[in-house]
Amino acid sequence: MIALALLVVLGGLATLAGLAPRPYRVQLVASLLVLVEILAAALSVHVLASDHALLGHESGLLPFSGVRVDLSPLGALFTLSTAVVALAATIHWLGYRRHAMSSASASSAFALFVTTLLLVPAAGDIVTFLVLWEVMALTSLVLVAHDHAQRDEARQAAWWYGAMTQGGAALITLGLVVLGAHAKNPGFSAIAASAHHLPGAARGAIFLALVAGFAAKAGLVPAHVWLPRAHAEAPAPASALLSGAMVNLGIYGIVLTRTLLGVGPAWWWLVAGFFGVISALYGSLYAATSTDLKRLLAYSTSDNMGLVVIGLSASGLFSAAHHPIASSLALVATLFLLTAHALYKSTLFLGAGSVQYATHERNLDQLGGLARTMPVTTVTVVIGGLAVAALPPLNGFSAEWLLVQSLVHGLTGADPVTTVATAIFVAALALTGGLTIVAFVKAIGVGFFGRARSEPAQHAREVPVSMRLAPAITAGACVIFGVAPGLALRAVERASAVVTANRSGLGASISGFHLGALRGAVDPLALALGAVVATVLVAGLRRGLGLKGGAKVRRFEPWGSGRIVTSARMQYTATSFAEPLQRVFDDVLAPQHDLDVSHAIESRYYVERVAYASANDDVVERRLYRPVLALATWWGMRARGIANGSVHRYLAYGFVVLVIAVVVVS
Amino acid sequence: MTTFANALASAAVVVTVAAVVVLWRRRLRSILVALSIQGVALAALATLLGAHEHDGGLLAVALLVLLVKALLIPGLLARVIAATPGARETDPLVNVPASLVIAGLLTLVAFVAARPIVALVGGPTGRLVPLGLATVLIGFFVMVARRRALSQIAGLLLVDNGIALVAFLVTSGVPVIVELGSSLDVLFGVVVLRLLLARLTAAGVRDLDQLRSLHD
Repeated sequence: MIALALLVVLGGLATLAGLAPRPYRVQLVASLLVLVEILAAALSVHVLASDHALLGHESGLLPFSGVRVDLSPLGALFTLSTAVVALAATIHWLGYRRHAMSSASASSAFALFVTTLLLVPAAGDIVTFLVLWEVMALTSLVLVAHDHAQRDEARQAAWWYGAMTQGGAALITLGLVVLGAHAKNPGFSAIAASAHHLPGAARGAIFLALVAGFAAKAGLVPAHVWLPRAHAEAPAPASALLSGAMVNLGIYGIVLTRTLLGVGPAWWWLVAGFFGVISALYGSLYAATSTDLKRLLAYSTSDNMGLVVIGLSASGLFSAAHHPIASSLALVATLFLLTAHALYKSTLFLGAGSVQYATHERNLDQLGGLARTMPVTTVTVVIGGLAVAALPPLNGFSAEWLLVQSLVHGLTGADPVTTVATAIFVAALALTGGLTIVAFVKAIGVGFFGRARSEPAQHAREVPVSMRLAPAITAGACVIFGVAPGLALRAVERASAVVTANRSGLGASISGFHLGALRGAVDPLALALGAVVATVLVAGLRRGLGLKGGAKVRRFEPWGSGRIVTSARMQYTATSFAEPLQRVFDDVLAPQHDLDVSHAIESRYYVERVAYASANDDVVERRLYRPVLALATWWGMRARGIANGSVHRYLAYGFVVLVIAVVVVS
Repeated sequence: MTTFANALASAAVVVTVAAVVVLWRRRLRSILVALSIQGVALAALATLLGAHEHDGGLLAVALLVLLVKALLIPGLLARVIAATPGARETDPLVNVPASLVIAGLLTLVAFVAARPIVALVGGPTGRLVPLGLATVLIGFFVMVARRRALSQIAGLLLVDNGIALVAFLVTSGVPVIVELGSSLDVLFGVVVLRLLLARLTAAGVRDLDQLRSLHD
């Protein structure tokens, strides 16, 4: 508890330090924040190691209920992964401040944002949780709106994000308040104890409200529209935190919902799983066709959160079908995927921030050739990309392997509905995996290899040391937990046991793990080593057997289209690379093409100019949100008609309403 | 009917009739006189109640009402129109005969609507509650139907006086502290409005609807 209080005090100091004069501001805030993050990491490691929740109640701090602290191993896992991501983001910020985010408001907001991100999983009652949640939302909004003075896109992003997060918060508040109304006190443990007194329909409604609210934070389709905008417009350290930490807390909310309400009937998880599948497919598809590096990463976040929700839903379904081992295995896999995502996605966002720092460019079609000029950044981004594509020996592989295994084992001996749902989950996972590989081959191949496509990309210089170090920390963690998943699995299992109350029977050595009661084992390190050895063997054999074919070996740049590239315009661009895919999914993506041919005046056979524009904007936004917004605008314009500026007319409205009210009341 | 009930009824009727007078008279000075008379009637009503209940606090309230509502506020407003002694409410949105008919209808509505309160309170005070409600409605109607800014303030004061009347009748007198609070609120509001009115007059605005040009 003292450590927690110290954490709050240091976080507050860091927030105040944002007001310090400019030359020292960022250094001061960042060094305080590093302390906060280390403290939070130590605290959560302690909780995970002791496997006992940290409990506390301070009645004087907030009105009504005071502040309850309940940092369970589950919350500690979230705090720990947030702390690692925040540490990397803070270090990155030390260099990034020369590019952006050095103002007093941004510094303070960043400090407060990090502190609340670390504290939300420790909240033990409704009021504490909601207060921290709102502070987190508002400070992140300040960061998203950072560039509002220069860029209209940033203003738009802030509006979208603000509207979605407040809508979500309203649903969460509603759900929690209704849920808490029957409990002895607003503490989460008291609510969990009393939730089964509620009628089934009420619990279902509360579940839907809470999951919808938290899904808006996690960026699930169709509540994802803020995500590509906000993640792309926020400064890099902030977007790494948005994607690597805040989105996770949306998932934390859904897990919390399960601990509060119990597992409930199967249809809850079918609904959640449906949106998980949609998000995974939709996010990966848009990631594969995006040309803006940060938008691509944001859509990939939506896709990964879809996978995570698929895992949660599978866990819920198995639990509802009385299959406890499969249920806890699915939950372990989900939480492992979540922490893996936090690590690799923050690596990628920090790397993208470094690219933006060096080139002032996010459009992949304007990048290229960065591998030569920014080698360290490229290596970290490649590691992140391999991890997100779930290739061994990185943590993404272990996580997705576990998830697939838990789904496959859940198939056996389940009722038909669960079986069908699980089969769909597996199919979605497979398609998503493929699309994700396309997206990241494109991002890395086009963005970092080949020739520079623009002047700034050609003259890019490697970023300062802090910005190289930061993604290297998270990328290193991706490698460590990929090679030796056993290091993390025990902690993850303790976290999941908070929810499922039984162990998954998962056994883990340092370098691999096996599934215990269910059969299956994997050793990612051996797998990767095997692949390397096989490659070396094949190459050696070819060489040894003289299979070179006698031709002269010529070396070209990777992604240089296999010839000496005379012009950067001869290479694949991000758009052309994704074009076949876009054609396949034409009906879903519905891209908008605009071809404008103007002829010479003298003859129609001479074309003077051809203008081609294609836009690949978000189809959910276009088909779902735009009509609603247009309706709201139309309604608002209609309402202006009744407000013509006459004081008397306004008074008359009030008067008529008063008289009607008086008559009705009588 | 006892003398007390008769006197109480007379005072309440004067309050409502004063509201109708505000609606009827076009000269701004007459409107202020009507407001002043209304204040006196309210004070008288409070005195009657205080004497009947042997409540010294209520007598203090009566004094306060007399000072603020009968003297101070009309006095403040009178200084605004001192520059134009013959100022009239020209061209009201609803003409005077129609306004009086509507005032009658509003009084009927008030009597119908106040039945539950009458039944609840009972006695000689309860029967008079509809008059307070009618005063509120008429005051609101004055704000809607009259163009001059001063008339609007008068409407607001009528609403407040109506509420005060209901409060006196329903609770058999309000504590000094409550009445002090509400009176000072109204006084404060009138001071602000008076300043605003002076500015509007200086800017040559005679009719509030001229402010429509400020609408975007």
